[in-house]
Amino acid sequence: MPVVTRALVLIIFGAGAVAGSLGALLGVGGGVFLVPVLNLALNFPITAAAAISLTTVIATSSSVSARRAGQQLINLRLGMVLEVATAAGSLLGGVTAQMLAPATVQKMFGVVSAIVAILMIGRLDRRNVIRDPSADLGLLSGRYYEDESGGTVTYHVKRLPVALVASFVAGNVSSLLGIGGGVIKVPVLNAWCGVPLRAAAATSAFMIGVTATAGAVIYYGHGQLVPALAAAAVIGVQLGTWGGIRLGARASARWLKLLMAIVLFVAAALMFVRAGP
Amino acid sequence: MSARTDSRLERLLGRVLLFGVTTSSVFLGVGLALSFVSGWSHLAGVLLTSGLIVLMATPVARVVVSAAQYLVARDWVFVALTTTVLVELLASLVAALYGRRL
Repeated sequence: MPVVTRALVLIIFGAGAVAGSLGALLGVGGGVFLVPVLNLALNFPITAAAAISLTTVIATSSSVSARRAGQQLINLRLGMVLEVATAAGSLLGGVTAQMLAPATVQKMFGVVSAIVAILMIGRLDRRNVIRDPSADLGLLSGRYYEDESGGTVTYHVKRLPVALVASFVAGNVSSLLGIGGGVIKVPVLNAWCGVPLRAAAATSAFMIGVTATAGAVIYYGHGQLVPALAAAAVIGVQLGTWGGIRLGARASARWLKLLMAIVLFVAAALMFVRAGP
Repeated sequence: MSARTDSRLERLLGRVLLFGVTTSSVFLGVGLALSFVSGWSHLAGVLLTSGLIVLMATPVARVVVSAAQYLVARDWVFVALTTTVLVELLASLVAALYGRRL
């Protein structure tokens, strides 16, 4: 386990702030940046890195969702359906993280995130929107007001089984690698299930708290969570998220998608470097 | 449950999350500041641990409140879904306690 020093606390605080602001912009927990910093740059065991990152993911999910509550951007019902799958995946991931060689999982993650990045770039200009605001809505549909276009956005959720599978995988990867899992859920919900990017990001962020908790609790029980370092990361990420949300309200969906694709490629490359030959 | 009650539930859950994350951030922030200024102390340790526990309890509390609200609304499908999530979270706690004993 890493030894806690003042310098280390400050470094983790700074890394958390950067990860938090990027995470808020992309609708991901920020763990995708924080884990490589802890694991590659600071040489923490992957379990310790994942444990710290998961606590920041819980904090980000909670504060972002608290701020968004009332905007109807979060699809509550869809979130609660998919949570059953993410929590199961996360539970399984947390248990297997104690037994698996991380290199194998990291290579899988690298492949998955690179595929998703390509998918995002391929669908940059597609909008999953029903123009008629009076359209009849089913149980899992959503409707929200978008500042950018000044109109009400209405959508139907399609291919629920795909969303469930993606959520299970996202939960699994979340626990194993200490990320929120938004990198998997958001593109799948957006590309295949008809959920607009903003709503997909909000719904994913809402679910991630539960996902990360299922994983974090297991690491905590195994003594892999260093409280002072987790605290530094959580406070740093909170401050970063606060800044990122302000930028995010003005960013366009196209710009968000492009940025997200780049982030996914970088994350994939880093995971392969870490996994080795 | 209508769209209006869904929206009310969304705001209620927002308050639960805000309370949890604020409380845990205060604990973690004070605990961190204490240990940063005067080195490790028992108080700092207690604050840091409490902060982490409150943080991990926050999403659980959000699911409990959701389940209770759906129960009041007699929305059985969502009572079942949220209860399942709670069972899964409980299972992770069991896995954690099992790990602690090893």
